[in-house]
Amino acid sequence: MSKFTDVLENKVMPVAGRIAGQRHLQALRDGLILTMPLIIVGSIFLILGFLPIPGYEDFMAKTFGDAWLTKLLYPVAATFDIMALIAGFGIAYRLAEKYNVEPLSAGAISVSAFLLATPFEVSFLAEGATEAVMVGGAIPAALMGSKGLFVAMLIAMLSTEIYRYIIQKNIVFRLPDGVPPAVSKSFVALIPGAIVIFVVWILRILVENTDFGSLHNIVGELLGKPLGVLGGSLIGSLVAVFLVQLLWSTGLHGASIVGGVMGPIWLAATDANRLAFQNGADELPNIFTAQFFDLFVYIGGSGATFALVVMMLLRARSQQMKQLGRLAFGPGLFNINEPITFGMPIVMNPLMIVPFILAPLSIVITTYIAMSTGLVAKPVGIAVPWTMPPIIGGYLATGGKISGALLQLFNFCVTFAIYYPFFRMWDRQKYAEEQGK
Amino acid sequence: MRILLCCAAGMSTSLLVTKMEKAAEEQGVEVKIWAVSADVVRNHVDDADVLLVGPQVRYMLPQLKKVGQEKGIPVDMINTVHYGTCNGAEVLKFAKQLVTK
Repeated sequence: MSKFTDVLENKVMPVAGRIAGQRHLQALRDGLILTMPLIIVGSIFLILGFLPIPGYEDFMAKTFGDAWLTKLLYPVAATFDIMALIAGFGIAYRLAEKYNVEPLSAGAISVSAFLLATPFEVSFLAEGATEAVMVGGAIPAALMGSKGLFVAMLIAMLSTEIYRYIIQKNIVFRLPDGVPPAVSKSFVALIPGAIVIFVVWILRILVENTDFGSLHNIVGELLGKPLGVLGGSLIGSLVAVFLVQLLWSTGLHGASIVGGVMGPIWLAATDANRLAFQNGADELPNIFTAQFFDLFVYIGGSGATFALVVMMLLRARSQQMKQLGRLAFGPGLFNINEPITFGMPIVMNPLMIVPFILAPLSIVITTYIAMSTGLVAKPVGIAVPWTMPPIIGGYLATGGKISGALLQLFNFCVTFAIYYPFFRMWDRQKYAEEQGK
Repeated sequence: MRILLCCAAGMSTSLLVTKMEKAAEEQGVEVKIWAVSADVVRNHVDDADVLLVGPQVRYMLPQLKKVGQEKGIPVDMINTVHYGTCNGAEVLKFAKQLVTK
């Protein structure tokens, strides 16, 4: 068993550390975080729009008029539907920061470059017409949201790389002597922006001459679709969860590291469900959304450790585990489990790593089965924060379905059963130590 | 003494903040302690005398140490056992040692 921790310490850890420390992945993760508060605020309006109370719709229509829902959802359009724009800014900002170059301009240039990559036209179906026509002069709202997310990410990286390269190489116009320094300085700031815009402009023109038509189409076909398949499959999700658990087993923040890669995919899946839900679709497209993992799998934090906290409170014989249970209950309720992972500890503890990996993998499968058979409602794309306590979280994430709360309860029981024998062994060991045996 | 803590979201380190404040109060030491997420450390580091990093984000330590060097403050990782058991007194002691070193 010590060989196992050896491998973790000497093989997994350094690789994980290097990946996690990679600046683009970090910028991606930190930049996307900028969209979260807005999306959560938008979610509140979404919840209010679809409260599962009988007679609610009629009541609202009578009180506020027939267009009540449209009006109520205005903020959704300005939060969910502009996530690509915000993410593009955030990612460029964070990346520039990591290169120690001025981040605010980098963010602004990135937004401009993203819009440059987006054709300003929307499809319009005139009354009485059978075929939609493309109308110019409008920024397509659809591409500002999750549909444009991957383009925004790539452009943010590209534009910031160009931006910092030029600044770091100190490429400047050489103005003749006698020109005031402040004037030549203002030109220094112009060059990177001009080059970024020029590059993206050329890219767009090149792409317009191909069958793809726009950068959004290329990225959607070549990146969005394969990634969606990867992130939307059971196998892909199991692998992702396994990696999260493996990283946490070495004491590294697995969810944060894997989230750097999977975050955008799950966010896009979340939003695809939100759009379908908002349009009243019967069948939601995705099971594996951000909420699937945050709320249905990681009950009590990564590793679904809430069951472990409860058994510490109820069944522990050793003082150490009893105390830890009391300490970890409050945070655990809000899905924070560092006291457990580092305090029990689970990190580098071969005995506890086994259920720590098995438990979440098992409930990925139970949740998948429950949702794909229609037994339990799928998450509707309401961005319930990952800190939402169980039962409430499942209820809200499924758009107010009791089945969501029940599934969390069921998953809790599954993880309880998996953790219990391992917990007993560990507790007994601790108890024996305390008794001085 | 002003102690800045950081982890992935600044949530689990915030557990430690209250414990450390309590320990400081018992010892009669005046401190300001707060926790932030790793991505916004740069915005807070100017106000701090020492930066302590949660063990789960220790992959960011080299990067954060560089930030600390620029600002001239010590940066180090919190001991995992003290972290897991939320041992405010020990972490406070560690912070003091770093500052006076």
